[in-house]
Amino acid sequence: MPLSAAELSRYHRHLSLPELGRGGQERLKNARVVVVGAGGLGSPAALYLAAAGVGTLGLVDCDRVELSNLQRQVLFDSAVVGRVKTEAARERLLALNPEIIVVAHTLTLLAENVLDILRGYDVVLDGTDRLTTRYLVNDACVLLGKPLVSAAIHRFEGHAMTYLPGRGACYRCLFPKAEEGVVASCAEAGVLGVLPGVLGAIQATEAIKIITGIGEPLVGRLLTYDALELRFAEFPFARRADCAVCGEHPTITAPMRPESCDSADLSSVHRLTASALRDRLASDPGRAALALIDVREPQEFETCHLAGARNIPVAELVRRLGELTDGCTPVFLCRSGRRSLTACALAIRAGIEAPAHLEGGLLAWAAEVDPTFEVASG
Amino acid sequence: MSCTVRIPSPLRSYTAGAGMVAADGGTVEEVLASLERRFSGIRFRMVDEQSRIRPHIRLYVNTGEVTALSQPVVTGDIVHVICALSGG
Repeated sequence: MPLSAAELSRYHRHLSLPELGRGGQERLKNARVVVVGAGGLGSPAALYLAAAGVGTLGLVDCDRVELSNLQRQVLFDSAVVGRVKTEAARERLLALNPEIIVVAHTLTLLAENVLDILRGYDVVLDGTDRLTTRYLVNDACVLLGKPLVSAAIHRFEGHAMTYLPGRGACYRCLFPKAEEGVVASCAEAGVLGVLPGVLGAIQATEAIKIITGIGEPLVGRLLTYDALELRFAEFPFARRADCAVCGEHPTITAPMRPESCDSADLSSVHRLTASALRDRLASDPGRAALALIDVREPQEFETCHLAGARNIPVAELVRRLGELTDGCTPVFLCRSGRRSLTACALAIRAGIEAPAHLEGGLLAWAAEVDPTFEVASG
Repeated sequence: MSCTVRIPSPLRSYTAGAGMVAADGGTVEEVLASLERRFSGIRFRMVDEQSRIRPHIRLYVNTGEVTALSQPVVTGDIVHVICALSGG
């Protein structure tokens, strides 16, 4: 579809670039890009893609805007706190560029729906904050033959990579497997607000290059960014012949969730509220029945911890499970309740029948039981 | 041999926040053992009980991927530890 007079004016600076020009701008107009996760990464990526004139922009997210999002999720402002993210984002993007179409997919991406959602797009941007979804999106892109631009962030560090079907390695070639909880999330560990701005803009850049066919995509190279040192680096990685999804004998032939605490049977876990744990501890002052295991990182533990708690970071738990077999019920603790649930899954797999965890984590403890308890940001 | 090891953000709780630390060793395995002596528990975050590099970790000596822990390291090398990140 040709560009209108208004579009010729709007995209004048693109049209002035001979590498992109009118043909490239028309390709952008005819392109369909989906952004998975309207969060820190998805916000700048979607804004720049909308501004650049990508004709159809899909947004996948099931959350509502929270006040704590605004430190980095620049799609949103204070007036839309509490609203569904995809709908608030759609209004913001159309205000920026009414020439485009924005499709709101207000849902959780699952093995059952991922192919149907992604099938309708030319390029996929992954900015999710869940590892399970990250693998799900990668696998779907490989199965559908869709280009994928993936990025991830943690504290002051970010990664980005691009997968092009038939041209290079996929995310699973880079990291064949990772478990939720063992790899800390931003909610647990914190993140510099401007960091996803850098990585999200890189994702948008890659999408524009793929659509217009200019430049050299970030294929087979992991780009790393350290904001504290303001240092970019890149590391080559190759397609793995034994990759479970894009290798020579793939075992993943349909979308599936990778092994994680989500897939473990957690029905035997005792989920203690903060006040229930307080009561249990009061009735067991000698800790004859309960063993408090704090699975946070050592520096979080040092900031503040419950009396009598022992620190075993969740990533060390499998190796140190022997320390738990003293007849006590282990009660796993962490900041928010996410890592402690992973710890329960690991314990159950190791044969500990009924572990317990603190629902809502030490944040809930501080809110409900002890307001003087200082919960480290991770 | 002395080298520098770049520690990824998720493992900096072991190094008191340091992103670059010095280590000794003529192979990657020896460098990891050197790290472990200073920062107890950090090796297990990178390699498992069978001394296999964990699937969410990649190691590089300078820009060359480490496929075996016996890979040599010489003075001045930088060993990069890269860890999958989950945030978005």
